[in-house]
Amino acid sequence: MSWFTQLFHRRRLYDDLADEIRAHLDERAAELEARGMSPAQARDAARRAFGNVTSIEERGRETWEWPALDSLLIDVRYGLRQLRRAPTVSAIIVVTLAVGIAAATTVFSWTRSVLLNPLSGAADADRVLALETTTASGSWTPTSWLDYRDYRKYLTSFDGLAAAFPTSFAVGEDSHAELRRGELVSANFFDVLGVRPAVGRFFPSNGDEAEGAEPTAVVGYDYWQARWHGDSTIVGRVVTINHYPFTIIGVASSSFHGSMPAERIDVWVPAAMLGQIVPTGGWWLRDRGTRTFRVLARLKDGVTTGAARAEVEAFTARMAKANGDVSKGMGGMLLPLWKSHWGIQDGLRAPLLLLLAACGLMLLVVSVNTANLLLARAIGRRRELGLRFALGAQRGRLIRLLLTEASILAVTGSALGFTATIWLTHSLRYLLPRFASSSVLDPHVDVAVLGFTVALTAAVALFAGVAPALHASREALVEGMNRGAIGTVHASRLRGALVIAEMSLAVVSLVLAGLFYDSFRRTRAVSPGFNADHVAMSAVSVTLAGYDSARAQTLLRDVAERMRREPGTSAVSYTDHVPLSLGSGSWEDLRIEGYTPEPGENMKLYRAAIGPDYFKTLNIALDGRDFTLDDDSAHARVMIVNEAFVRRFLSGRAALGARVKGWGNWFTIIGVSKDVKTYRLTDSPTPYFYVPVRQVYRPEHGYTFLARSEVPPDEAVRLVGQAVRAIDPTVPVFNAMPLVDYIAGPLQGQEMAARLLALLSGVAAALAAIGLYGVVSYAMAQRTKEIGVRIALGARPGDVLRVVGVQASSLILIGLVLGLGGAVGVARLVSSMLYAVGKGDVPVFAGAAATMIVVAILAVSVPARRAIRIDPLAALRAD
Amino acid sequence: MTDTKSRDLFPGALEMMALRLLKREPMHGYALVQRIQQASNDLLQVEEGSLYPALQRLLKDGLVEAEWGVSATNRRVRIYRITRAGIKHLTSEVTSFERMLEGINLVLTLERA
Repeated sequence: MSWFTQLFHRRRLYDDLADEIRAHLDERAAELEARGMSPAQARDAARRAFGNVTSIEERGRETWEWPALDSLLIDVRYGLRQLRRAPTVSAIIVVTLAVGIAAATTVFSWTRSVLLNPLSGAADADRVLALETTTASGSWTPTSWLDYRDYRKYLTSFDGLAAAFPTSFAVGEDSHAELRRGELVSANFFDVLGVRPAVGRFFPSNGDEAEGAEPTAVVGYDYWQARWHGDSTIVGRVVTINHYPFTIIGVASSSFHGSMPAERIDVWVPAAMLGQIVPTGGWWLRDRGTRTFRVLARLKDGVTTGAARAEVEAFTARMAKANGDVSKGMGGMLLPLWKSHWGIQDGLRAPLLLLLAACGLMLLVVSVNTANLLLARAIGRRRELGLRFALGAQRGRLIRLLLTEASILAVTGSALGFTATIWLTHSLRYLLPRFASSSVLDPHVDVAVLGFTVALTAAVALFAGVAPALHASREALVEGMNRGAIGTVHASRLRGALVIAEMSLAVVSLVLAGLFYDSFRRTRAVSPGFNADHVAMSAVSVTLAGYDSARAQTLLRDVAERMRREPGTSAVSYTDHVPLSLGSGSWEDLRIEGYTPEPGENMKLYRAAIGPDYFKTLNIALDGRDFTLDDDSAHARVMIVNEAFVRRFLSGRAALGARVKGWGNWFTIIGVSKDVKTYRLTDSPTPYFYVPVRQVYRPEHGYTFLARSEVPPDEAVRLVGQAVRAIDPTVPVFNAMPLVDYIAGPLQGQEMAARLLALLSGVAAALAAIGLYGVVSYAMAQRTKEIGVRIALGARPGDVLRVVGVQASSLILIGLVLGLGGAVGVARLVSSMLYAVGKGDVPVFAGAAATMIVVAILAVSVPARRAIRIDPLAALRAD
Repeated sequence: MTDTKSRDLFPGALEMMALRLLKREPMHGYALVQRIQQASNDLLQVEEGSLYPALQRLLKDGLVEAEWGVSATNRRVRIYRITRAGIKHLTSEVTSFERMLEGINLVLTLERA
């Protein structure tokens, strides 16, 4: 008989067996009757001779069963019945598991898309490393094209090195142009990353050699689908990028999105075309001091990361000496992609890992709580389990039964949680600054994420099921032998330990949330030094519009002038660096008259090129005079520096009138501004300086208009955009939003992380309360008779409360002490991620402890009140 | 209630005996039980019911076939018949059993000597 027919004909097989046994018994009884027994005696004797009919029938049926599958199905069916009998407990377990698993899986999917899978579509991405340049002060900076060419020529640890410069392209003709993310890449870019073309081919290997000689482009798969509807005749078509015609030669594979993590690049052109993409920028390729590229290196087979790192460090140290004029003190580092400084992952790495840890913590509490509730139920069922054992159930079978129940709960919870995850993954954008979110790829739920959920579920089911199952089966053994309470003592100890674990984990997560919220609050309270309220911003890319310096200057002047005439506008200006932007900005190597730098001192200072009225627009106090439209290349070069600049380089001297050399020219300081936070709110004041746009034209970052206006912020933003379009509708506008929104970007992630942590710790605290409630209620129920006696003997409510309190408070105290101890350790671990939060941040710890105590007292008060109300007569009569 | 002697049979013994008897002639379960007890001079007190799981195993492995029919006493019973595979299986089982018995015997006689 094939297994298939067996499976579907089992009902008949079983019936046959039952009939046969009945026939046997009849035949034996008939024979015995014939020998003179009474019918009843004969039937009994026949049964005795036959043995246990039920058990024999079952053993017979077992022959046909797939033992594992069939008994599993039975266990599942039985487990479901059990769970339905205690709907509240089951619901609590399922919902908390769902929350825990949804949170952990969501954060995992974010982490995966941002950190773990930064180069989707690349072959053997784990052999690809980031080679990054460090400045003399140890901070990170992009790499210059010439440095990259040297790396490629001399480094031997790599199969290939690719360079990429991510930027924005205006794709299409004039007024139909759309702004797209693009990359200028080395010709070997796709080869090094191991990407295959979906259509056509990639750049020729000699594509880096002659500037401007390779006007070809590769487009991204999604862009190809969206704009050309997947038309395979795209190869050979000409597309205008930044007003220059490029011939499309290929389409990248669908899974490849460029070199930037969590960002989608739509167009690639050879780096040698930089002069055509940025009309004023062709010389960047010939200047070792202009650093714009990201370098990715593929390790040679058999070369270890350590060996490659050693080679990179030695080589870059030699290069820093050889090119001392621009690279003095600089170095190189080889990093795994997830540690690379490029892109949003740099800012998200720490919060994501922290959230992942917090989710893990919460999931642990959820599991402990589930274990606790299951254990409570197992204790409640010890009669039943004891009976099963007495009837011959094997211990392993009982354990499996209880584990099956835990698994049903875990699987149900996970299914719910996973469904929630599908929705939640998209909320990653709330962690991102508003201006970054548009270009970011949505993280999605894929096989890896599903695998993660399944693994979590299995872990939770095992963790939450094993202890109760082992315990309960042991209990059943005891119960089978005598009805003593030996096992109960063991159970309450185990449950007590679980509650203590829950309490302490909850305290740890409360402290963690408190520390982060505190850090966020303190960061937000820091004054940036300028007033962003009522300021609208809009950025324009003059390079994308194909402007030269003169046209750009006219545009900036005219748009500002037009905006200034709008009613309600009090001041308008423009800059190439908006304060508190993410990103590294631009610096210039300065020589300051009368100041001798110490050996190795970093004289590369960050700066902004701005228009007139900048300080008025942002309400920054200024000593001396502001720039005017007359501060152009025809006039003496002028500079405004901040107070930190004066303190460091011009102390004890008159700042106004001092001279500074940069860009090969001498500038005279005409003003001193108050310090403002230029990069991060948490930075300490750093020397910074401003030059007029008309004297230092650097269009690569685009220019941003800032307008202070009394009209509502969104209306003001619209007016700025309208002013730009009125002057030239072909100029692409981006980052149009109120300035407060823009600078809140970095804080938004922090706030979101703090809120998430608060939510997670709230769940953890609630679970600890449930656990405590369960344990104390159970203990009270056990002692109902004793308390009844006490009340009958004259104990007052206070006395009864003391009985309840002694047990509960020891659990609470131990939990608190362990939790606070753990929190001190955790706080030390995360201290580098916190702003102005000391290691011994007493109020946070005290607050967490107080919260936990209040929650615990609430949890205990319910059973305590029940204990006071015990009716001694009823209690004594019971049982 | 439970006859401890029946537990003393080694696994597979019941199947072997059933096959041996069925090789002589097809019969139904009740008759098989009777025959085992008679043939062993009642030395083997087999718990009657335990034959049925054994028969189910033989059925599943295709060593016997079963068919509903009518017994000598005119009852509706399920009659078992050994298959070709059953005969082959019996032969090899008996051989290995005899070898085992021989081994045990050697050890036991050594003890006595």
